[in-house]
Amino acid sequence: MNLAEQIRNKAKELLESKTVECVIGYERATDGLTARPLFVYEPEEVGKLIFDQTCTHNLVKYLLNRRDKATAIVVKPCDSRAINLLLNEKQIQREKVLIIGVVCPGIVETSWNQTSEKLPARCQLCRQHTPVVYDFLVGETPPTEPAVPKPYADIVEMEAKSVAERQSFWAEHFSRCIRCYACRQVCPGCYCSECFVGQLDPLWVGIRIAPSENQVWNAIRAFHLAGRCIGCHECERVCPVNIPLMLLNQKLEKEVGELFNFQAGLSAEALPPFATFQKGEKLGIGE
Amino acid sequence: MTQFISKRNLLSWLKRLTEEHILIAPTRVAELTLFQKVNRVEEIIFDFNNTALSPKECLFPTTETLFNVEKKDGQVELTPVTIDQKTVIFGLRPCDARGIALMDSPFLKEPADALYQQHRDKITLVGLACLTACPECFCTSMGSAPDDPSNLDILLTEAEDGYIVQIITEKGKALLPEELLSTTQAPPPAPPSPKAVPTEGLVQRTQQVFDTPYWDRLADRCIHCNLCAYVCPTCYCFDIRDYTDKGKTERVRSWESCQSLGFTRQAGNIEPRNTKGARLRQRFAHKLLYFPEEFGALGCVGCGRCVRVCPVNIDIREIITDIQKLGAKVEA
Amino acid sequence: MAIEYQPKVVGFLCNWCSYAGADMAGTSRICYPTNIRVIRVPCSGRIDPLLIIKSFQMGADGVLVAGCHPGDCHYTEGNYYARRRFALLRPFLDYLGIEKDRFRVEWVSASEGKRFSQVVSSFTEEVRRLGPRGIAPERAVL
Repeated sequence: MNLAEQIRNKAKELLESKTVECVIGYERATDGLTARPLFVYEPEEVGKLIFDQTCTHNLVKYLLNRRDKATAIVVKPCDSRAINLLLNEKQIQREKVLIIGVVCPGIVETSWNQTSEKLPARCQLCRQHTPVVYDFLVGETPPTEPAVPKPYADIVEMEAKSVAERQSFWAEHFSRCIRCYACRQVCPGCYCSECFVGQLDPLWVGIRIAPSENQVWNAIRAFHLAGRCIGCHECERVCPVNIPLMLLNQKLEKEVGELFNFQAGLSAEALPPFATFQKGEKLGIGE
Repeated sequence: MTQFISKRNLLSWLKRLTEEHILIAPTRVAELTLFQKVNRVEEIIFDFNNTALSPKECLFPTTETLFNVEKKDGQVELTPVTIDQKTVIFGLRPCDARGIALMDSPFLKEPADALYQQHRDKITLVGLACLTACPECFCTSMGSAPDDPSNLDILLTEAEDGYIVQIITEKGKALLPEELLSTTQAPPPAPPSPKAVPTEGLVQRTQQVFDTPYWDRLADRCIHCNLCAYVCPTCYCFDIRDYTDKGKTERVRSWESCQSLGFTRQAGNIEPRNTKGARLRQRFAHKLLYFPEEFGALGCVGCGRCVRVCPVNIDIREIITDIQKLGAKVEA
Repeated sequence: MAIEYQPKVVGFLCNWCSYAGADMAGTSRICYPTNIRVIRVPCSGRIDPLLIIKSFQMGADGVLVAGCHPGDCHYTEGNYYARRRFALLRPFLDYLGIEKDRFRVEWVSASEGKRFSQVVSSFTEEVRRLGPRGIAPERAVL
């Protein structure tokens, strides 16, 4: 039985038994090639569910719209880290979520009306092909995880540039930002009921779209995700003007890993790095 | 016998334009095709389907200062912003030209938006006909066509070694020097046929499905990312704020979208559109019901950008088909 | 006549230790460069990285944060959290194109008036050496 069939059977079972009100998964998009999120409420509709290498979306954010309703959700390993993040931050209740974890073969690069055979960098560097949290597992766990080639290669390349080069790199990319906030909307870690950009007093970032304002927006959003970003790359996928946002998030992920030996989303119980400290730790600050 | 301009003459004309005009044309940047101000004509690309963002930002910029206010010697002095330089938008598709014409309705209706009016008066539109139709385009269902000259000052259609030229308005005639033109006997290429979307009676059907649960279901997957509104040639919601510093105030207008949470929040924290379904419904009700009721045409040009860009495939063509089916059921 | 570049230095000082230390420098009549603009906060742990980035956006050439020595925080733990936050912020600023030497964190106690003046002097000179950032917030009117 392939992955999609297993998911359909499980979804049917959960809906018929009324264990959940809704199953969040994937269906085919209108281009006939790519995928899109699907909310199934009736057992008769499970036939629409698919799972293949075009299923790129991180569906976990939708759980925040259904906090008090029993929901099943199809997650890839990267998405499952987002579930741990939301559990850790007490945003969802474990008993309300039924996690259908999928052993992921890697997602191919897609855009509207276009698929490919190519795995994006995040899939090539993936260290967890089995979800980190699940109730039902679909697919076979591989016997070993692949040895990862040098990680953060593009971050190291950025770090090797001069400060001035980086300054103009970011100035050029941020100049295209139209402050649509799609990056924030798609991110499972961005769920503040009032985002700092909406604050009027103090006014951190207004409505003016200008290079330095754009820099404050992008830099602070990345910083608010430091130690929290689980690396699904959705923000970079949805950006309409192709800003390489993951170069920011991965830099912080690398630093958090090196400074605090912490990786986001692996545990629903571990203390987040900024909610704790070690008295004697030497971090190169104030020394 | 039709008018023709060679590629070489076209480039030299565009180069000449940059001397007295701001020339906005499609360019390639960060793997995107975007309308940008060009200083060198070598930056212009001619081989593209359509730009990621529409040219509406030339008339309705992403962010704009409306006026400045200062208190001087006890007097309040208001300095409006004036647009002085002439602009040519080159390479826009007929659908986008229709988009500009549709935006004229709300912005130029009395009292006209002062800044939009200025931008509009100073802009000349030189269009490029489409030789192929994208799978997601549906301009012919929305009152336009791949070779539609209306709403443009000049329309160019690519042919061998150059472009067939249609001069549509006096403004266009004044812009393009006759000596650069020649003639050709070659017939214009047959325009492509974009797929059709059923728009007959759509306004009434949209009214009929207004109160159905269709919108809440559709909105399940909507993440309210605002991309549809931002890439759309006819969406024009905005936010206005005053910023004061050291006694000087600037009124700034920026793009906003009806999809944002809090877009309709009022004093007292009342939120008329407080569900995802209500917000999503608003965008389609505006385009397919309110706009045609007020201005006589559907508020969509069929450019397909929203279909391309939506991260969760909220497809207006699918929605229109659904509205037709559902509306007929509601009527029955 | 050219105006000599004077770096704009913003200093976030925690009320209990470093602000008192600065006060002590004042009462002891110890001089230090006047480029620093002091913002008093209850604790270094209150300082949001947003404040630092905003300071740079608004035209600061250098930002100094001074707090109590670890172990001596008036609120017991605030500076431990701050230390973690700034340990991440400093390389991140450098990565964004703001030289990390434009951002400094120092622990200054209430009795360290002389040390405060030394910190400000050395930091101001460092920022002067780095030159103006050349970034100003975009405004039609200023």
